[in-house]
Amino acid sequence: MNAIEVKNVTKVYPAIKGYKELLLHPFQRKGTTALRGIDLEVRPGQCFCLMGPNGAGKTTLIKILSTLVLPDEGKAFIKGHDLEKETDEVKKHIGFALAEERSFYWRLTGLQNLDFFAALNNIPLSKRRKKIQEVIDLVGLEKAAGRRFNTYSTGMRQMMAIARALLTDPDILFVDEPTRSLDPVAAQNIRTFLRKEMVENHGKTVFWATHDLSEAAEFAHTIAIIAEGQIKAEGSVRSLTGQGSFPLKEVYEKAVKEPAPESKAFGN
Amino acid sequence: MKRLSKNRPLRAKLLGIDVMSVLMQKLFAFLKRDFLEEASYKYSFIASFFGIFLSSATFFFISKLISPNSSSVLAPYGGDYFSFVIIGIAFSGLLAIFQERLPAIIRQAQVTGTLEAILVSRTSIPVILFGSSLYYFLYSIASTVFHLILAVVVFGMQVEKINWLGAVLTFLLTALCFLSIGILSACFILVYKKGNPFSWIYGSVSGLLGGVFFPIKVLPVWIKWISYILPITYSLEGLRKSIIVTSPFSEILPNIIALSVFTVVFFPLSIYLFRLALKKAKKDGTLTHY
Ligand SMILES: Nc1ncnc2c1ncn2[C@@H]1O[C@H](COP(=O)(O)OP(=O)(O)OP(=O)(O)O)[C@@H](O)[C@H]1O
Ligand SMILES: [Mg+2]
Repeated sequence: MNAIEVKNVTKVYPAIKGYKELLLHPFQRKGTTALRGIDLEVRPGQCFCLMGPNGAGKTTLIKILSTLVLPDEGKAFIKGHDLEKETDEVKKHIGFALAEERSFYWRLTGLQNLDFFAALNNIPLSKRRKKIQEVIDLVGLEKAAGRRFNTYSTGMRQMMAIARALLTDPDILFVDEPTRSLDPVAAQNIRTFLRKEMVENHGKTVFWATHDLSEAAEFAHTIAIIAEGQIKAEGSVRSLTGQGSFPLKEVYEKAVKEPAPESKAFGN
Repeated sequence: MKRLSKNRPLRAKLLGIDVMSVLMQKLFAFLKRDFLEEASYKYSFIASFFGIFLSSATFFFISKLISPNSSSVLAPYGGDYFSFVIIGIAFSGLLAIFQERLPAIIRQAQVTGTLEAILVSRTSIPVILFGSSLYYFLYSIASTVFHLILAVVVFGMQVEKINWLGAVLTFLLTALCFLSIGILSACFILVYKKGNPFSWIYGSVSGLLGGVFFPIKVLPVWIKWISYILPITYSLEGLRKSIIVTSPFSEILPNIIALSVFTVVFFPLSIYLFRLALKKAKKDGTLTHY
C-alpha cells in the first residue's frame, strides 16, 4: 500500500471577500488556482522531495495532506485512509512542520509548549517527559528548551516545530522547507536526520518540500517538480537527469518552464 | 531541565494526575497553558479584582438611595437593592467571559497558527472548545465568588440560607448556555475574521433587558418579551431565588427548565456550526490568517 496517494487533486482558493462584496456577489467564484489535477504516489520508506518555485503549490499540497486545507476536487489517501472521510485515522499516522513556524505559545517555554501538544496527541503524562526529552535531544535544543519561546531564533523555532512533529512518532512526516532559516551546519544536521535517521534507520516516509536543488539531489529517493500547481516531472535523480547526462538544474529549469506533459482536465 | 525532572513526579502524585484519563489530561493541559499564559499578566489579574471592589462600592452607595422594602418590584428578591444588583453583576460577568474570551482565543490561534497545530493533533472539537474555555470558566467562578464574599463580608449583604441545589444547577446551565453563545461568536470569527456584530448587540441587550441592574418588571410591556427570550433573564432569576431569598426548589425549577431548553438547543447547534465554520475555513485556506 502507498504511504501517500493523491488523485487528481485541485485547489482553488477563493478571493477574500468583505461583507459588502459577499452580499453583492454571494456565489461569485474567482480566486487563485494553487493546484491543478495533482497525481502522486509515495511508497512507504521513501524520502520524497517536492521541488518547485515560489507559489508552485507545495505548502498547499502539504496542508491538504495534513487535513488543514480541503481540496476542491480529487481525493487523497494516507496509508489507504481517505483524508476527508477518515480524518481521525489519518491524524494517527502523520506529523507536520511548516516552514514559517510561529505556531507556538510565545510566553511559554519550549518544554511547556511541547508538553501541551504532547497532551493533545494522547501521550500520557507518565510517558510525556521521556518523549519530550527524546525529541529535544534529536533536534539539539537541550539548552534552549527551558527558555521562553519568544527568545528563540527563527532556526530554533523551526527545530522546535520539527521536534513537535516527532512527538507522535509519525510514520509519515511532512516538512515544508525544513532548512529554510537554518545555518549550514544545522541545515545539514536536519537533512541527515531526515534521510538517515527517519527514512533509513526507522523506515519512515518523509515528504519534503524544498526549493533547494542540491538538497533534493543529495537526499531524495524521488523528486517531483511542481510548478503552477502541476507536477511537471517526477522520478529519481538518476532518471530525471538521464543517468547523469544533464545537470539537475537544467532539468528543473526546463520542467518549470514547460507546459504540463499532458493537459489536465482542469485549466484556465 | 534538571529542575523539571525533580519536581514532576511529586506534582503528578499530588494531583493524582497519573490516574487521570486522557481526556482529563487534555483538559488539564489546556488549563495549564492558559494559566501559564495569563500568569505573565499578573497585574491585570490583580487589577480586575480591585475593579470588582470599586464597582461593588459604587452599587453599595447607589443602593443607599433606595430604602429597603420601599419598592414593590424588589419585594420578590427580599427588598434590598444591593443584594439584587450584586447577583446581577457578579453572574453577568460569566456571559462576558465566554462571549469575549472564546472568540478572542480562536482568533489569536488563527493569527499565530496554533489553531492548525491543535487541529492536526488527535483532539476532538468539543474538547478543544471546552479546554479553551476552562481557564476562563474557573476564573469567572473565582471572580463571582469574590464578588459575593466581598458583598457579604465588606458590604454587609444578607444571606440567610442558600438553596445550593438550585444555585449550582442554575450556575452550571448558565455556564453551558453562555459557552454556547461564545462558540457561536467564535464561528463568526473563524469565517469572517472580524468581531461579531450580533454578539456585541446581544451582550448589550442582555445587560439592558436581562435583569442585571433592575427587575424586568419595570420594563414596558412592549419590550419585556425580549427579556423572556434571553437566557440571562432566567439565570439571574434562578440565582437570586436560590441565593438571596431562599426559595423552595419548585420556585427555581421553571428557570432551570428554561435554561435547559436553551442549552439543549444552543449547545449542540453551536458545536455543529463550529464544525461547519472550520470546514469553511479549510476550504478557504484561512485556518491561519493574519
Ligand atoms: N491561504 C491562501 N489563500 C489564498 N491563496 C493562497 C493561500 N495559500 C496559498 N495561496 C496561493 O496559492 C498558490 C500556491 O501557494 P503555496 O503557498 O502552496 O506555494 P509554495 O509552493 O508553498 O510557495 P513557497 O515556495 O513560496 O512557499 C500561490 O499562488 C498563493 O498565492
Ligand atoms: Mg510554501
